[in-house]
Amino acid sequence: MRIKLFRVRSSVAVVIAAAWLAALAPAHGQRPAASAAKWTPDRTPDGQPDMQGIYNRSGVGGLDPGALEAQGHRPENPIDPSENNPLSVSNRPDGLANVDRGFGEAGSGARQRGPRRPGGIVDPPNKILPWKPEEDAKRRDFLLHTNPAAGLRYVETDARCALPGLFLGGGPYQFLQPPGAVVILSEYSHFTRVIHLDGRPHLGKNLRLFLGDSVGHWEGNTLVVDTTNYNGLTAYSREIPYLSDALRTVERFTITDAKTIDYEVTIDDPKLFTKTWKVAGVYSKTENLTDLLEYACAEGSQTLVNIFGEPPGK
Amino acid sequence: MRRSVCGLTAAASVGSINHPFGSNRRQMKRLTKFVPGAVSVLFILWFAETPAAPQTPGARPAASTPRRTVAGKPDLNGIWQVLNTAAWDIQDHSGQLGVPPGQGVVEGNEIPYQPWALAKKAENFAKRITADPTEANCFLPGIPRATYLPFPFQITHTPDNVAISYEFAHALRTIPLEGGKHIEGLPSWMGESRGRWEGNTLVVDVGNFNDETWFDRAGNFHSDQLHVVERYTLTDPEHILYEATIEDPKVFTRPWKMSMPLYRLVDNHPKLLEYECVYYLQEERFKDAPFKK
Repeated sequence: MRIKLFRVRSSVAVVIAAAWLAALAPAHGQRPAASAAKWTPDRTPDGQPDMQGIYNRSGVGGLDPGALEAQGHRPENPIDPSENNPLSVSNRPDGLANVDRGFGEAGSGARQRGPRRPGGIVDPPNKILPWKPEEDAKRRDFLLHTNPAAGLRYVETDARCALPGLFLGGGPYQFLQPPGAVVILSEYSHFTRVIHLDGRPHLGKNLRLFLGDSVGHWEGNTLVVDTTNYNGLTAYSREIPYLSDALRTVERFTITDAKTIDYEVTIDDPKLFTKTWKVAGVYSKTENLTDLLEYACAEGSQTLVNIFGEPPGK
Repeated sequence: MRRSVCGLTAAASVGSINHPFGSNRRQMKRLTKFVPGAVSVLFILWFAETPAAPQTPGARPAASTPRRTVAGKPDLNGIWQVLNTAAWDIQDHSGQLGVPPGQGVVEGNEIPYQPWALAKKAENFAKRITADPTEANCFLPGIPRATYLPFPFQITHTPDNVAISYEFAHALRTIPLEGGKHIEGLPSWMGESRGRWEGNTLVVDVGNFNDETWFDRAGNFHSDQLHVVERYTLTDPEHILYEATIEDPKVFTRPWKMSMPLYRLVDNHPKLLEYECVYYLQEERFKDAPFKK
């Protein structure tokens, strides 16, 4: 009941926001493409191109159904599109079906404003991921155990209020640039990424993190972030419900104008895939937010009890 | 624009109607209020800071002069941690099994509880092993407790913003500087922070708390009327004097204060790591799931 009321109210807000954005859209949309290359961002006191601000992210869903259909074919279940897939974690009867399909599955790339940019899987062009055959078989088997979840490991990390998968979440994100670092704060899941620019090495290989260990450097107006030391306990997206601890990501954040950061991430996960693949998206600066709010999740969640029942002894 | 956040909040609250804390109801309330409000806030105010004039050669800074940012403010950037036992008990306490002894951090060592609240504190203490929201349940620790948990935290400091990221449960606070007044009626676990500089001291006004967090594992507590004013004073490049004034007319008879030094991590390439309390707790509680309903 409350949820329904909330959704109505938020929809009204979304409509208002959309109208406001639409009023601004022409100026943004009609800018000649060539101007992007000429954009010169301000500099921070330590000389970094200034990318500070609050952004929303789109396109990084791992899946873009619109683009697939535009190509006139549907690959042979490359990443389990949700709408027609009985294995999808979104179609489960255990309460999680109310999850808004804004993440990944519904292709958040479909909701970009401004000029259309590449989104979702951009390499390989046919969007079919280069799974190792045996790993693809394991993945399909894994998905068979997610509805209902056969055990804790089959529950998505974000449903557990744990640190989220790589392609989950759309923002807002706040970028801050203290001397020698880029700090990305996420409202969703209230996590922080500190990307040191001081040339330090990665952490020792036995120290593993949900978000991995990131180091970065600037190449012109592009922040390049190299991340290793993943613990392998999160996921890519709902359709690719895990990743391996061999993962290495290289992200490129390119400032293209005052409001836009083009994003591209190269996935190198040799335990699961035969070669690397790439996902692209865009961070769009939002000026109607001045601050991130608190995203409390575990503090009220009964998700696991709903799925599995109350643990004994509690 | 905020659909994704709203959607997941809705998901997290599915089935939480019976949760004793009822926190999701509050989340919903604050988000429903915020979303239309946010749309009406159209501008980010940028307060450009004038870089400090270069120091005159020969005018060697006194030992107490803090390291400064380009914008001329004391540089709080870095990873910090306390060296005390306030996480167990903010007042003087002797050692017990698993509890290191410590001198308290409360000025005068007395917390001015109203009589009913003193009884409630004793009740909290008795059931602390299961009832402590932070240690037993891994919930967000609130302010000031996040500061003196035995985990480091990172301060990110730019001319317009301060953010504090805590290793415990990846708790996060953003602190806009000169960022205006508190939003009405948005109670939260970590409170809502507004910062300003008073000379060399960063003063953070924190309001909009819920009544769910404790000050320590000894059951010291507050209500949703809690108001905290924190003061961060860089006393030398490696130390911050941290002071917090606590005000809560529902629970205390007068405001009271705690203070302690914060120590900069000076290790080679210190880095904030992860203590994913919720995840670890779930691994323990649900390792044999599914259970019979």
